[in-house]
Amino acid sequence: MFQRISIALLIAAACIDFARADSPSVTAVLSNSEATVGETVELQIKVTGPGDARPPEEISIDGLEIRSTGTSRQFEIHNFATSSSVTYNYTILPLRAGRFTIPPQTVRAGGKILRTPELALNVADAPGQQTTTRPGRGAQSAQSQATGARDLVFAELIVPKKTAYVGEIVPVQIKMGFDARVHPRLTEPPDITGQGFTSQKLQQSSQNLETINGRPFEVVTFKTAIAAARAGKFEIGPVKAKAQVVVPRRRNAPRGRSPFDLFDLDDPFSDPFFSNPFAQFGERRDIQISSEPVALEVKPLPPNAPPSFSGAIGSFTIATDAKPKSVQVGDPITVTTAISGRGNFDRVNAPLLEDDRGWHKYPPSSKFKQDDEVGISGTKTFEMVVSPNENKQSLPVLAFSYFDPAKEQYVTLHSEPTAITVQGGATAPAVAAQQPASSPATAPRGRAPVPTKPQDILYQLTEPSRTVASFEPFYARRGFLLAQSLPLAALLVFAGWKIRRARLDDREARRIGALQHEAAELMHKLRRDDASPREYYAEASRVVQLKAALASRNRGLDPNVVDAETAAETFKLDTDSRERLRSLFEQNDEWQYSGTHNGPGRISPENRRDVLELIENLK
Amino acid sequence: MNFPIVIPSEVEESRGGTQDQFRGVPRLRFASLGMTANRRLAIFLCSVFGIASAAFAQSDAEFAKANQDFAQGHFKEAVAGYEALVRAGEWNANLFYDLGNAYFRTRDFGRAILNYERALALDRHHPEATANLHIARDESRALELQPTRLERYLQFASINQYTIAAAVAFWLGIFGMVALAFARRRSAALISLSILCLLVCAVAVWAVHKLDNGSEGRGLAIVTGQDVQARLATADTANSVLALPPGSEIKILSTRGDWMYAALPNDLRGWIQTKNAEQVRL
Repeated sequence: MFQRISIALLIAAACIDFARADSPSVTAVLSNSEATVGETVELQIKVTGPGDARPPEEISIDGLEIRSTGTSRQFEIHNFATSSSVTYNYTILPLRAGRFTIPPQTVRAGGKILRTPELALNVADAPGQQTTTRPGRGAQSAQSQATGARDLVFAELIVPKKTAYVGEIVPVQIKMGFDARVHPRLTEPPDITGQGFTSQKLQQSSQNLETINGRPFEVVTFKTAIAAARAGKFEIGPVKAKAQVVVPRRRNAPRGRSPFDLFDLDDPFSDPFFSNPFAQFGERRDIQISSEPVALEVKPLPPNAPPSFSGAIGSFTIATDAKPKSVQVGDPITVTTAISGRGNFDRVNAPLLEDDRGWHKYPPSSKFKQDDEVGISGTKTFEMVVSPNENKQSLPVLAFSYFDPAKEQYVTLHSEPTAITVQGGATAPAVAAQQPASSPATAPRGRAPVPTKPQDILYQLTEPSRTVASFEPFYARRGFLLAQSLPLAALLVFAGWKIRRARLDDREARRIGALQHEAAELMHKLRRDDASPREYYAEASRVVQLKAALASRNRGLDPNVVDAETAAETFKLDTDSRERLRSLFEQNDEWQYSGTHNGPGRISPENRRDVLELIENLK
Repeated sequence: MNFPIVIPSEVEESRGGTQDQFRGVPRLRFASLGMTANRRLAIFLCSVFGIASAAFAQSDAEFAKANQDFAQGHFKEAVAGYEALVRAGEWNANLFYDLGNAYFRTRDFGRAILNYERALALDRHHPEATANLHIARDESRALELQPTRLERYLQFASINQYTIAAAVAFWLGIFGMVALAFARRRSAALISLSILCLLVCAVAVWAVHKLDNGSEGRGLAIVTGQDVQARLATADTANSVLALPPGSEIKILSTRGDWMYAALPNDLRGWIQTKNAEQVRL
């Protein structure tokens, strides 16, 4: 049941919304109800409702030149409710002074006839001409192209006060306008020239599009604050800046009027370059922008400043807190004081203890949190550690003084009395450990509790020391660096020994390889039957010698000195094999040294096989 | 104590025989003494020992005199005596400790703390210096730099200990690598040991760097002046950052003329005149 009622209510609300959105309405506003002759004012007629609205007919008022500058449409969906609106823009150029009334205009929308409210415009005579370099008809009569470029920009210095006190922070606004069609690029940020004052860092505050004299301008607003250093009359500014803009190239041919130049103001944009970018290329030109200076009278501060006055000027409030509130004598208490308001916070110092007897105070720390862009509004928080030297019932009152330029007098703020409990006599064992984490690190760590009698230092050490010490760390001492030569030398010896050993191993390996190669070749020859007995037995003996040398690798046996006995010993042969080996060596000797042989001229296959078998079994 | 010092009179010409191998090398001849090389070496060593003993004896006397002045309550004279020894380079932890005590008695807590810190820089386990440093800090309400947590962990060993560890680990690692380079078979244990040693070396070097540039490193200085203010800029009229009681620790970051830029307690930074602080490490 409840759910149904809710749905019904929602539908009803939507219908009401829709009905309301369906009903067209019209409003008309002037950008300014006060103007001077030659200064343009914007008129906007806004029709909200169905889209088939018809604009009012031409508005004609004697003394005012009113031109339509365009139409804009808006369509919005908000919480399922749709709305559309049409805005008709007009620019009004007053041609003479006086009070003008713009009568109600008739607008047709949604089949209804709507009427705008009546508007009044007061036009004053132009006092000479505009003081700033805002573009205007009088300023536009310059003929040169450079002048034309300058007309595309303006700078304005806004100082809200005409008088101030020495050291008082005065907020300052700088407005820089650029014709939206010149693609401006600020090459040098604005700088406030002048002497006798200090200015804070310039902050860009906003950037928006404004219509000035019927031309759209991109207006960049900078904010800063100045403070006078001495009394007297000063001229603040002018503000100077440099920018690059794109302007049409110089042409000799006459040009037509720009659609933007509604009132024939000799707009540089009447150049065809802006209506057709391809007709002729523009050029980027450096221009200097400057504003008019502003006068400021600076008064000195009155005498008889209170003792806690540190130069703070503005309007401030004070809030104090302390932790912990129950301590032993000598324990630290962190007192946090927040000074909030608006003024020169760089001169806001920590408040003073009005009566610091029986207290020990440490230097305070501070941090500032600004609430605005230039740092003249915010909260400066001080943390000060105090410790009672005796029993106390409350924290000492803190006093902070400042000069209020609005009241034109010094004001002293006092903190609220804060009750605390201090227990004397007994000492806390670990003071530093109990210190709150937020307290500044300025309190000594591991500080001993305050005793009734001051601690005394320990005795003198009268024993002379025989060693002379050095503050220089080991790594920077020459002795340490020289000592590194010992392991370096050891490393070199070690590396040399390893290299030598590797080389020796390599030589032995090569010798063994050569022996193996020779043995293999001889074995290959022995298996062929084309050798004479002299060659055959010589080669067979040589193979036995090589095999014996290889088998006795560790002893480094020279194969040339191996005889039958040595070979038999090396291979640990039995008696039969030993005899056969001896016979082989004897036969070789016979063939080598006797010159003749008692046996046949060729070796029988049985003998050959027998020799081969003997050699192959040598392992 | 006076020792005869033998002065070489002229250069002896080279002689033949067994000394041919030294031909061309100028040799010292001791006048009227036909000494052997061993005897000459002995005399040289005796001379060196004698000079050293004389120097020690002199410094002992000065040290004893300063101690006597201290015992008699002549603290300024004691300070002068100890300072003379410091200027002579006779640095040891006990001397700085005693000098700190003498300054403490003259109620110059800044320099007392400075000298206790120097004693601890030479001997980090000097119990008397540690105790008196605490008392001096309490008296002067000196501010201290807070070491980072990492520094506190690293301080379980001194810079010199880390240096030795780094050197030993480095050479072990290098020897292991060389052995690996020549080994026929790559031993996993040897590879692991070499890598471990080089890692230990790297960690030790890093620890040396952190400690040397930390709050108790070579930049550590002690405020010795009275009513010292750390300032935002190098001018007496610049805004004050922090009031530094005597004996407060600062870490010098850079110097410019008569000013030095320092890290202050409470994580602040500011400019201090160089005459108002002295570095702990000489």
